Amino acid sequence: MVKFGMVIDLDKCTACQACTVACKAENNVSFQKPEESVTRGMFWNDVLTSTEGEYPSAKMKFLPRPCMHCERPPCVQVCPVGASFKNQDGVVLVNYERCIGCRYCLIACPYNLRYFNWRVPEFPDSMKSYVNPLVPVRPRGVAEKCTFCIQRITAGKSTARKEKRELRDGDIVPACVQTCTGKARTFGDLDNPDSKVSKLIKSNRAFVLLEEKGTHPQVYYLTEG
Amino acid sequence: MLSRRDFLKAAVAAGTAVSIGSGFLQTASAQERTIRKRRVVKDIPSVCLQCPAGCGIMVKVMDGKAVKIDGNPAHPINEGVLCPKGQAGIQVLYDPDRIKGPMMQVGRGSGNWKQLTWDEAIGIVTSKLQELRSAGEPEKFVFMSGRASGSMKEFIDRFMSAFGSPNHVTHRSLSSDVTPITMHLMHGVREYPAFDWDNVNYILNFGASFLEAWRPTARHLRAYGHLRRGRSTRVKMVHVDTRLSVSASKADEWVPIKPGTDGALALGIAHVILRDFLYDTKFVADHTTGFEEFREMVLDEYPPKVVSGITGVGEEVIETIAEEFAAARPAVAIAERGAGMHTNGIYTRMAIHALNALVGSIDSKGGILTQRHPPVSQWPEVVQDDISRKGTATPRLDGAGSRKYPLAESNYQGIPDVMGEGKVKVLFLYYTNPFFSSPDPDRFLRSLDSVPFIVSFSPFPGESVEHADIVLPDHTYLERYQDDFAAPSLGFASVGLRQPVVTPLYDTLNTGDVLIRLAKGLGGSIADSIPWASYEDVVKFRLNGLYESEKDRLEYVDFEDFWNTLKRTGVWSGPAYTYGEWKSVFKTPSGKFEFVSAILRDEFEAIIRKSQGSAATADVSLLDLLKDLKIEARGDKVYMPHYELPRFAGDESEYPLLLNTYKLTTHAEGRGSSIPWLQESLGVHTRVKWDTWVEINPETARESGIKDGDLVSVQSQVGEITTRAKLFEGAMPGVVNIPFEHGHTSGGKWAAGRGANPNLVIANEYSYLGGLSAPFSTRVRVEKVKR
Repeated sequence: MVKFGMVIDLDKCTACQACTVACKAENNVSFQKPEESVTRGMFWNDVLTSTEGEYPSAKMKFLPRPCMHCERPPCVQVCPVGASFKNQDGVVLVNYERCIGCRYCLIACPYNLRYFNWRVPEFPDSMKSYVNPLVPVRPRGVAEKCTFCIQRITAGKSTARKEKRELRDGDIVPACVQTCTGKARTFGDLDNPDSKVSKLIKSNRAFVLLEEKGTHPQVYYLTEG
Repeated sequence: MLSRRDFLKAAVAAGTAVSIGSGFLQTASAQERTIRKRRVVKDIPSVCLQCPAGCGIMVKVMDGKAVKIDGNPAHPINEGVLCPKGQAGIQVLYDPDRIKGPMMQVGRGSGNWKQLTWDEAIGIVTSKLQELRSAGEPEKFVFMSGRASGSMKEFIDRFMSAFGSPNHVTHRSLSSDVTPITMHLMHGVREYPAFDWDNVNYILNFGASFLEAWRPTARHLRAYGHLRRGRSTRVKMVHVDTRLSVSASKADEWVPIKPGTDGALALGIAHVILRDFLYDTKFVADHTTGFEEFREMVLDEYPPKVVSGITGVGEEVIETIAEEFAAARPAVAIAERGAGMHTNGIYTRMAIHALNALVGSIDSKGGILTQRHPPVSQWPEVVQDDISRKGTATPRLDGAGSRKYPLAESNYQGIPDVMGEGKVKVLFLYYTNPFFSSPDPDRFLRSLDSVPFIVSFSPFPGESVEHADIVLPDHTYLERYQDDFAAPSLGFASVGLRQPVVTPLYDTLNTGDVLIRLAKGLGGSIADSIPWASYEDVVKFRLNGLYESEKDRLEYVDFEDFWNTLKRTGVWSGPAYTYGEWKSVFKTPSGKFEFVSAILRDEFEAIIRKSQGSAATADVSLLDLLKDLKIEARGDKVYMPHYELPRFAGDESEYPLLLNTYKLTTHAEGRGSSIPWLQESLGVHTRVKWDTWVEINPETARESGIKDGDLVSVQSQVGEITTRAKLFEGAMPGVVNIPFEHGHTSGGKWAAGRGANPNLVIANEYSYLGGLSAPFSTRVRVEKVKR
């Protein structure tokens, strides 16, 4: 079995937000009007900042956040119609056609990383001309979130199949990982003990967000410093 | 109809074309099934132009439409990664407000535009230019340029020289020309240096925006990851800055410093290194001159106690940094416009660079390198006639290189002065928008009416278009051929090929091609000087030099083969950097690093000699010169790195705060305000999007009764803007920070009428020695707007 996961090394992260923009471009995440971009902004992959301390010893900390693709995903547990599911590769996905828009999952997610399409996703003006045809645009009234770039996972597996070989570590590169300027992100199979991610999570710098919630995230972080 | 089999054959024949199959989605809907059809997908390499770095990109084009931009793994600047600006390039290409063809404004500022054909437009501009030559005043043609990448700057120079005007004004005096000037004075090489980022162990950064805007950003971002965790030694980074930036936060230490005093800190650090004999004696003995004079002055004048008083940095901090900097070699001291674009900036920048010489971090592993140049073909001699010879011999209108601004190559912000005097008759604006991007831009607007004819090449609406008489819209960078030399950084040479990834969307024309057509229209020696049929041919001509240089090494059948290979790979890289070529590292009179700059001394002596020989002007003494340039130092100190008191515009009692401006990583240098993806993630630390803010220290804000989110007015002696206050612990007491981005009065549906432009409050203060703008030298007051 494959269990995809990601490791983000905060010591290499530059807070550049290339991941945020690459994700929006790759995954057709809806545009929000400027006046709503703070309150209803949709980012499958944003960077949070916290400023700690006071001048002159203030310091900013940055936290890039994709979906945690939890091993025990609360969003899947609460979904009354089975629209949220964990696929055979350990990726948490939403079946948009099944989703009834109840938004239980938005509340259940302790990381606040699900987004709801309150209206028909907007691609005003020329934005339609660069919608990525490999990723479906979500309809109104459904929840959505990071998919680990499922379209890239499927394409990578399909290539491996055509070449009659096993999937190799590094075959699949989500958009955020590909563009990551500090090479802070690594993606791969957590079930494969030889994969880069499996080795990285053995580091004593490794941690997960909100471990106490018992969600067992498949996204790991490595501490700064 | 093609059968599927035929289609596949065709796709294979197309080489780079591939097809993506079905079956990639878990749950297929009707909507999803529609996207399962086979598509022609091409990855076309090109070069980004969201900043001057010159990163390689791979543009995914599906069925003729560009849908995604990624990094080109083959390009040595970015090695496959890409910053958010580069990612967002698609929104430049498909900007909904693009100008769709050449047009003329009936009545400047009226907004009444008349569409033209290219023949008509070029005819009009040609006749305006011809008039200048007929009147024998070709020097009244001024060409202002911004991001003229690759060969374009020299191509414009060539056009101007053939036409007969010395007045190609680049924006470098607003940018960070202080670094090339420093390199000129101390190395004899007027260029940005390169760095060996892979091997440095200690980075002492005087305010360079390492992780946000310092070009080439992607190279630095990559270096950051590598230096932190990509190798066995973890780099130590110390960031000296007037505000807590992302770079400061991601460094090991942030050292807040009073604005304009970085030079004193560098000299204080030098003092400790010299006092404790921590310097590299071998490098100093072998490769420097003027060391004894410099040592004596620094030991005499800059003990940590004094420096601490000037800078606000603790004595023990100065001592520690100096010890670490000297011990943790290879160490480099870096800086850019934050420290350097002050009234005392050149001496500051020299002081910082002197630290590199003290620890031998020049032309060494992990140190400062000298950027090598690609062996592109040399231009043929420009053909001039009598009119152009006479015109190019006239002094530059902006005074660059004159005794007023001796070390300047361009003095962008000085142009309004001569515009007002009626000395500019035709003005070209290429990749630049002086009505928005210069300090106190009203100066340009006020003298606008004295310029009879203004041409803008912008493909987007904006202030430069608003005030133009005619617009000859350029292709965007994803639609044209252009060479692009990677921004200095790597050491070795690298050339990227910018090529069209889609057919141009509108009736636009590469500005290079416009210049070629203008040259043909003007005829005579001008046409002879520009003999190429298209700008693509110019690029081919220039890059033929690369092919010639490699003939023996690589197996290309002919130039066509080389060109086609380049179109597939997107980049050419030269041989690895070689150390120890001291003749190219130091081109000073002594052939060494000069603590006491002979070049500056010669420069001043030449000015004095010239005045003595001229009947028209009174003799200039060195003292007069120093007074005019507002340099306080006397004696040998004038030619050495030293600390001068920074000047600030505005009375302190009336304007008690200092204004600092900065660039965010999502700021595509003035062209990002109409890019939704960048606006949606604008302020990573403030979570403000699509707007401007002013960062104020909570203590300072409390004194003025300002709360977070209050609407405030920022006023200086030249202007006023209104924006929201953001209380920020990373702001120094007494210094407020405003990011550049917004405040456009025109610029399309996204950019226009949003936020505030800090340039409106920045006084046009100078570092006269370099003709450099000093944008951090304005005092302001901030008041709550009463409703």
